[in-house]
Amino acid sequence: MSEAPPATPLRERAGRALQDTFLQEALTIATTKFIGLRREAFDEFPEGEALRDRARAIKEATLQHLDQHLERLIDNVERRGGHVHYATTAEEARAIVLDIARRTGARMAVKSKSMATEEIHLNEALEAAGITPVETDLGEYIIQLAHERPSHIIAPAIHKTKGQVAELFARELKRETQPDPEVLTRIARAELREKFLEADLGISGANFGVADTGTVVLVTNEGNGRMVTSLPRVHVAVMGVEKVIPSMTDLAVFLAILAKSATGQKLSVYTSLVNGPRRGGELEGPEEFHLVLLDNGRIRQIAGPLREALDCLRCGACLNVCPVYRQIGGHAYGYTYPGPIGILLTAMLNGSESVRDLAHASSLCGACADACPVRIDIPRMLIELRKEVGERRIAPWSERVVFAGFGRLLQRPALYRLAARVGRALQRPFVRHGAIRGLPAFFGHWTRTRDLPPIAARTFQERWAELEREGRR
Amino acid sequence: MTTRAEFLRRIRTEMGRTAGLFPAETAARPTRPRERLEILRRELSERWPQNLERFRHEFERVGGVLHRVATAAEVPDAVARVAQERGMRRVVAWHADALGLDVAGPLAARGLETSAAPGGEVAAAEREHRRAVAAAADLGVTGVDLAIAETGTLVVLSGAGRPRSASLLPACHVAVFDRDALVESLAHAGLALEAWHDGAAPEWRGASINFITGPSRTADIELTLTRGVHGPKEVHAVFVEQGLGPRRG
Repeated sequence: MSEAPPATPLRERAGRALQDTFLQEALTIATTKFIGLRREAFDEFPEGEALRDRARAIKEATLQHLDQHLERLIDNVERRGGHVHYATTAEEARAIVLDIARRTGARMAVKSKSMATEEIHLNEALEAAGITPVETDLGEYIIQLAHERPSHIIAPAIHKTKGQVAELFARELKRETQPDPEVLTRIARAELREKFLEADLGISGANFGVADTGTVVLVTNEGNGRMVTSLPRVHVAVMGVEKVIPSMTDLAVFLAILAKSATGQKLSVYTSLVNGPRRGGELEGPEEFHLVLLDNGRIRQIAGPLREALDCLRCGACLNVCPVYRQIGGHAYGYTYPGPIGILLTAMLNGSESVRDLAHASSLCGACADACPVRIDIPRMLIELRKEVGERRIAPWSERVVFAGFGRLLQRPALYRLAARVGRALQRPFVRHGAIRGLPAFFGHWTRTRDLPPIAARTFQERWAELEREGRR
Repeated sequence: MTTRAEFLRRIRTEMGRTAGLFPAETAARPTRPRERLEILRRELSERWPQNLERFRHEFERVGGVLHRVATAAEVPDAVARVAQERGMRRVVAWHADALGLDVAGPLAARGLETSAAPGGEVAAAEREHRRAVAAAADLGVTGVDLAIAETGTLVVLSGAGRPRSASLLPACHVAVFDRDALVESLAHAGLALEAWHDGAAPEWRGASINFITGPSRTADIELTLTRGVHGPKEVHAVFVEQGLGPRRG
C-alpha cells in the first residue's frame, strides 16, 4: 500500500493532541474563523445553493464518461505541446517525476501546495535522488523547515505559533527574526524569491483539468502557483484523474463555490489557467510542460463504495465543522488527508484496513455533508466503511463479540426480556446519580469518557404488560 | 510504466461495473461563444457605470485601489503618482500594442526607469535579461482583459508584449482598463473563457491566463492576514473613462 501506517495507535495520537493546549486553542480559533467566513460568503450569495447542486451534477456527469473526458484532456494537452504521463501507483508517479527531473538536469524544484504530491510522498523521493524540493506556500514552507506534515488541507501550519515560526526561521535560515507574521512573511518572500528564480523545475498539483481545452487550473492566494508555472524551465503538474472537468463553463461554476467554501473569499487571489509550455512571443513560461495523471486507488472506486469521494474539491470545509477534527487536528489522523473526507480518501488510497480505527473517528453528526460544496454524503460512506471493517474481521475481537451477541439478543424477544432483568441486577453496583459509571475491565473504555444510561427500573415492555393487566388500554 | 491505452482500459473496465447511469449532466456549453461574447459586451456597454461601481466595491474589499482618469493621456500621471508616493523608481510595462497606450516614454519623461516588453519573440538570452529586469522592478503596468464586477477580479491573458511577470514580480501592480473589459459575473467570465478557447488562438496569445483578485495574501501564520507574500503587495486599477486606444486582444 502507498502510505506507511502511523507508528502509534489512533487513541494515543488523539490523546497527545488533546493534551496539547496550544493546539487545542489554535484549532478552535482557526476552525471557528473558517466556519464564520464560509457562512458569510454563502449568506451573501443566494445563488450559491443552486450552484452547489450544479457542481455536484457536473462531477457525477463527468465520472460517468471519465474515459472520454480524460482522452479529450490528454489530446488537448498534447496538441499544445505538453506531455502526458500515466501513474497507476504512487511509486510510479514518483518515478515519472524523478525521470523528468533527471533528464532535464534539475537540481532544485520549487513546489506550489499540492495534496497529490503530498499523497505520493514526492519530496522524500526527490531528496533521495539529490534534487532539493522547496515548498513555496508559506504554510508548507514552514512545515518543511520543521520536518513535519500538513495539519490542515488549506492551512498546513495552523498548529504552529508565530513564536515557534520565528525560532524555526532563526535556526534554519540564520536570520534575525521577530515573532511577527508581517516580518516572518517578508523573510519567507526574500528567501523563496531567490529559489523561484534559481529553480530548474516547477512542480504543482491541479485543482481542475479542463478537457475541452487541455488547461490545468491552479488556485492559490500567495502567487506561488504562478511563479512555479512560469519561471522554471520545466513544469510538472500532478493531477488525480477525478480532477478533470469538461468545459470552461463548468470551471466557472466550480470557481464560484470553491474559495467561498475554503476561506470565505469570493475567489482566491490567483486562479491560474495553464495552457501548456511557453508560446512564441512570450517572455516567460516553461519550455516543457508535463501532466502526470494519477490513479493511486481512485480508478477502482469509480464503481466502488467510495465513488462519491471522487467528487471532493479539497476545500477543507468538512474539516472545520467536524467535532472530531476540531478536537484532535490533522496530525492525529496519521495519513496525508485529515478530517472526515480524509478518512474516506485514506481508505481509497491505502485500503480499508488502514481506517480500522479512523472509520470510527466521527460522530456521524452530518455537519461535514452540510458543509461540503458538492454535498458528498460522508457519513453514509463512513457507516459503510465501519460495516466493512466489521465484516472483514479487522475490528478488535472484543468489539465483534459484543456486537454479535447484541445482534442475537435483539432477534429473540424472550431472551431480550431475560437479559434486561439480568442486566438490571448486574448494573446495580455501577449506577450512580442515574447513570452507569466506571465499568470494570474493557467495558471501562466506554464509561471512562461518557456515561451509559442504565436499564430502566421498569422497562417499557413491563409497563405495557402491566397496563394491559389493569385493563387501562 | 503504465501506457495511455492500459490506463484508459482500466477506467473503462471500472465504468462497466457501475450500476448504470446517474441522472446528471454538465453545465450547458454555449454554442458560438465568440458571437455570444460580442452580444454580451454590447449589452453590458449600456450598464457600465453600475458594473464599475460594483467592481470598485469588491475590488476595494479585497484590498485593491481604484483610480479614475478621463483620458488615456492621463494614465502615465496616475501611474507616476503611485510610484512616486512610494519612492519607487523602476517600472516594467506591457508593450503599447497590448496596453492600448504607450506608457514607457511618458513614464521615462517623469523620471521613472521604464522598460516596456518587446512586441514579439526574442532570443533566450534577452528573455533571461528581461526576467532579471522584471525581478528588480518596483512596479508593473499591465492591461486588463476582463474586470469581473461580482468578485473585483482582473483577468489578464499572457502573450507577446504581455509578460506574466509584470503582474507578479514587482511589489506593486498597476492595471489599466476601460469599460470594454467590464463584465458582471463569473458566469460571464466563463463565456469569455469559452470564446478565447474557441478555434485557433491568435498569434500573439500566450499559454497563461490569470484571474487576479487583489494583492497576494496569506494567513498561514496564526491566521494573520499578510499581503505580498510572493506576488504584489499592492494592486491598483486605473479606469480610463473615455477608453484606451485600439489594443491587440
